[in-house]
Amino acid sequence: MRKVNLLSPRAALLSLLLPAIWISPTSTVLAADCETKIGAVLPTSVDWGRPIAETAQFAVDLFNESGGVKGCDIDMVLRDSQVDPKIGVDAAKALVDLDKVPLLLGAVSSGVSMPILTSVTVPSGVMQMSCCSSSTGFTDVAAEGKTNGLWFRTFATTRNQAAVAAKLVQDKGYKSVGIFYKNDDWGQDIGKLVKADLEKLGITVTTSVAINDAQPSYRAEVTEALKTKPEAVYMALYPAEGISVTREWVSLGGTQKMVVANSLKSDEYRDGVGFQYLSDVIGHDSAPPRTDSADSFTAMYKEKFDSEPNGPGLPNIFDAVMISLLAMEAAPELTGAAIAAQVGKVTDPSGTPVNADAAGLKEARALLADGKSLSYQGATGAVVFDANGDVSAPAVAWTFTEDGTAEAAYYPLADVDTFIATLSK
Amino acid sequence: MLQSLFDGILVGSVLALGAIGLTLIMHILRFANFSHAELLSLGAYFALTFDAVFGAVSNVLVQKLPWLSVTWSLACAVLIAMALTGATAAIIDLLVFRRLRRLAGPLTMVFASFGVSLIVRNVIGLVYGLRSTHYNNDIVFAMMISADPLLLVKADQIFIMCLALVIMVALHLVLTRTSIGYTLLAVSENPTLAQVNGINLGATVRLAWMLGGGLAAIAGFCYALNNQLSPVMGRDLVLSLFAAAIVGGIGSIYGAVLGGLIVGLASSLALIIIPAGYKPAIPFLIILATLYVRPNGLFGQSR
Repeated sequence: MRKVNLLSPRAALLSLLLPAIWISPTSTVLAADCETKIGAVLPTSVDWGRPIAETAQFAVDLFNESGGVKGCDIDMVLRDSQVDPKIGVDAAKALVDLDKVPLLLGAVSSGVSMPILTSVTVPSGVMQMSCCSSSTGFTDVAAEGKTNGLWFRTFATTRNQAAVAAKLVQDKGYKSVGIFYKNDDWGQDIGKLVKADLEKLGITVTTSVAINDAQPSYRAEVTEALKTKPEAVYMALYPAEGISVTREWVSLGGTQKMVVANSLKSDEYRDGVGFQYLSDVIGHDSAPPRTDSADSFTAMYKEKFDSEPNGPGLPNIFDAVMISLLAMEAAPELTGAAIAAQVGKVTDPSGTPVNADAAGLKEARALLADGKSLSYQGATGAVVFDANGDVSAPAVAWTFTEDGTAEAAYYPLADVDTFIATLSK
Repeated sequence: MLQSLFDGILVGSVLALGAIGLTLIMHILRFANFSHAELLSLGAYFALTFDAVFGAVSNVLVQKLPWLSVTWSLACAVLIAMALTGATAAIIDLLVFRRLRRLAGPLTMVFASFGVSLIVRNVIGLVYGLRSTHYNNDIVFAMMISADPLLLVKADQIFIMCLALVIMVALHLVLTRTSIGYTLLAVSENPTLAQVNGINLGATVRLAWMLGGGLAAIAGFCYALNNQLSPVMGRDLVLSLFAAAIVGGIGSIYGAVLGGLIVGLASSLALIIIPAGYKPAIPFLIILATLYVRPNGLFGQSR
């Protein structure tokens, strides 16, 4: 099945020069005659992973409809990571070695993205962009220069969340805080960061207690924290152990002044503990930016999938795809290093702002052809990567209500960045 | 320190109740029954169900016992839960373990018990949902007995300790003063010799299951009253229960009580020395240390 737009001399010429390649029947408009493969390793076998993969394909289709990369359609070869580091690495290896992709999207979990980065993409010189890995471990690896500038992610790191947590504590005026953190990668990460941030702000951290999951009782842990008599507590826990710890804490007369992580923003937690004990709780969460470009993503998503983009990582994967493909368009050759080098050019804060829709992409092509830089405005707002490939994100503070949660405050990107800057002085 | 001691004894007495049934079955039937901890969950959920039933039937029963957060309906429900859990344990034996005892080796029994525990856990999850719940959604506040050294106590916790003590004394009297007790002890000492002396082995094994199940139901209720009900509470408790039974010496009921207290106290006191993140390792360390010094446990006999 071959389609040639005979009205376009360029397409006609290309069709003569390039070997005819099978074109996906779903791509209808402006089908090009060549294909460039990119790879994606996403957990399609879990229910929250499938929408991420579908959104990635949606972004690829949009880009192809606007003309593809260097006149060629992008073929995203998708492989399942099953949220398993071993399977993820195998999948990435196959994509890099067999499909020869210069760009890999994924993975979702930090635990899967990290081994892919260190053992597959960096050694092979392939660029990797993740939608959803939040571990600060990547920042460390990048800072040590071990990613060769090939690593990017469109998901704000735990660093960002920890800073917002510290800000909430400061805004509430608490002078001393006890910390409960889940004893896993994420919990240790955020627990350590929040502790450091609070101390930098001059707030006393009375104790920092690790909470293992599936313990028959958390009484001993809670008692340890209680002895230090903090004015407030910070909790980076999941609902399962969060309910037990909170009830134990409150029943022993611990303070009901609590700051909690986004992981506890759930009905399960509110109902499990009881709303009457959570009136003094304030939580932090990252937020979609309140910009036109984010709204236009929501509108496009709704038109395509007939539902709100509520799942985790959907705007992030959309931006990861768009930025990667724009960088490919800008790159002089399609190698990982060449593409990675152009990421800064398409996300340049001083560049011309372009949106992630058909008109915006057309404009972007024209700007890139002229050698100009552009500032990509996407589903997560104006994306800007730092030297380690990390992005920042706006944040919200939320509280529990009778029948759910309500937003207490919105911190735009600039506010969050300014605050983080004061912390890192 | 005082608080840790109190908490340790509290957790220990609940573990002891659960470990008694475990050690009895392990000794009489000579296999490690990993599904025993699920009987605790089952008992706790039976109590939850009948609490709701009784509460709906009569207004009088909804009133709380003096000082406690336990209602009369819940107290009655616990009695029913004991009987039902005991019966369930006997039925599980009838359907699974009795057949395997005749045909298969001890290792098969162990694996079968894993299977049974998975089935029970998931059935509970299916019926009651996966979220944790409580007998009483209001948080019971602790009373401060002393500020320095810190000691916070809830009336419910004193109740749990007394209940555990009463049951252990009653069990002691049954085992040492009644013919049923002698029968159980005889079978656990030597099943063949007991049969020669005219003891009905099948009936005694059934009795052991029912006794173990009943005690497990009380332990489950006490745990749930002090913490929460959740389909995975058995899984969370199984290691501590085994540690208690092994430390006490398989087959020794007094050993199980002591083992429970040791495990409870050690888990509670250990946090004074080590960071909380290493707490899950404590039961293992106790098992290792005990077996190193006394390979048959504190009260166990070699055979």
